[in-house]
Amino acid sequence: MLWYKSWLDTRWRFLIGLGLLLCSAAATVLTYPQILKLLQIAPQNVGGVFAQQIRESVELAREYRGYVWSNWFRQNLAQWATLFAVLLGTAGMLAHSGGAIFTLSLPISRPRLLGIRAATGLAELFVLVFAPSLLIPLLSPAIRQSYGVETALIHSACFFIAVSVFFSLAFLLSTIFDDPWRPLLIALAIAFALALVDKLLRAPAFSLYRVMSAETYFRTGHVPWGGLLASAAASALFYYAAVANIVRRDF
Amino acid sequence: MAERLIIETIDLWKTYDGVEALRGLNLHVPAGSICGFLGRNGAGKTTTMKILLGMARPTSGQARVFGLAADSPQASLEIRRRSAFVSEEKELYSYMTVDEIIRFTAALFPRWRDDLQERYLRKFELPLTRTIKTLSRGTRTKLALLLALCRGAELLILDEPTSGLDPAMAEEVLQALVRHGGGEELTVFFSSHQIAEVDQIADHVVIIDRGRAVISGALDDLRESFRRIQFVFDGDAPQTTFRAPGVERVVRKGRVLTVLSSAGADAIVEEARALQPRSVDVVPVTLREIFLESVSAED
Repeated sequence: MLWYKSWLDTRWRFLIGLGLLLCSAAATVLTYPQILKLLQIAPQNVGGVFAQQIRESVELAREYRGYVWSNWFRQNLAQWATLFAVLLGTAGMLAHSGGAIFTLSLPISRPRLLGIRAATGLAELFVLVFAPSLLIPLLSPAIRQSYGVETALIHSACFFIAVSVFFSLAFLLSTIFDDPWRPLLIALAIAFALALVDKLLRAPAFSLYRVMSAETYFRTGHVPWGGLLASAAASALFYYAAVANIVRRDF
Repeated sequence: MAERLIIETIDLWKTYDGVEALRGLNLHVPAGSICGFLGRNGAGKTTTMKILLGMARPTSGQARVFGLAADSPQASLEIRRRSAFVSEEKELYSYMTVDEIIRFTAALFPRWRDDLQERYLRKFELPLTRTIKTLSRGTRTKLALLLALCRGAELLILDEPTSGLDPAMAEEVLQALVRHGGGEELTVFFSSHQIAEVDQIADHVVIIDRGRAVISGALDDLRESFRRIQFVFDGDAPQTTFRAPGVERVVRKGRVLTVLSSAGADAIVEEARALQPRSVDVVPVTLREIFLESVSAED
């Protein structure tokens, strides 16, 4: 029943996220023929950091595999999934959910409560990342293109492990603040700041977004094990800090 | 034989950001009693209940429920397995229906009483399919009580259980508590601002003021020991100090001297004979008077 409660706490965020991401994935695939036409009139000689990146995206889009990676894993999924990772991380936490005192009066330990809540959120995040990403290989034949299921799975796995850092961060912040807004805003501000650094420094080696998009796998075929391990460690650290915080605090 | 205590606190202190919510609270609630917990707003009633249930940790001192240390996470689980709590706000999961929250709670308590569930569903006229956010405060209170009463708990801890209820429903709830408490192996520890409620159903009373228990004991004993003694003199009442034990307050007004005693009247009446009063009148004191007297003593 605790799983069920956890599902009820998060279901709207999850379902809205799933709907949006599935639509976004479908749109990414189905607009590719139009993108190909637009590539012919794309300007070649513009300057500046962002223009360079646009030019790079244009170059990547000439090949379907590059287009999917650039538009889906590096942009659309990165933006939406980060947002929903934060939203799922902050949903239904003890301090600001109605009935917190009722929950705490039940014979359930606080670590178990948090464990179930985190597991539910991560399971939902897993679906949010994998389901739309797997829609891409399924829809691609509709535009006479193909995209490997294995590639989609590897990118999704890397993405899920990296984006879980934002989930865990939001989860931790939710145990610190009693209102639902500050954890949400702080986690989103951090995600935005990291994205800005990533854009300005052109995806430095330590960038979480670089791990998220599995750029090394796309460019060289090597899975970014170091980045994935660091991401998993950061997530675990945030999670244990959240548990330690909730165990010691008064309600 | 000593009474078996279900709740016991010894020199319990709790400080929140430098504010002392509890200041050496000593509390003894015997098994099988219905104990009313009285105190003004901010006296420390809710803090005490939260410490007993492991929601807050004491700064110092001990809190024991069923003989288990309330500040131990493992023991606290066992305490919550054997007890039920209704908070003052009666906050439940607003998005669940009445039926869902009953099933959710029942699943966590192996001794859940289906017979009581049916009885209270009928008695409280709870709409199973309505979501909790659409319920009135009174109906939410009734639902919270159902969830507490059906757990097969050995201890009910209720924070203002009748707040938000109309007088008829409040009476119904009180009667349910008395029936439940009387017919089961159950201890009820409840806070209330309604002294009449405590007077009506409690057999033990604890009055807390500024984080300390100022009065504690069986209600019958309190009623027996508290007396108001009125002496009327021919002239102005004399200035005097009583040596007899239990003198809580002495008020002089014209020819009348009134003494409030917490240890019966005999010793005081005997001592006052030397003052040659014209008449002596000894009257019992209500719980309301005892409460007002004990919480205003330091003002």
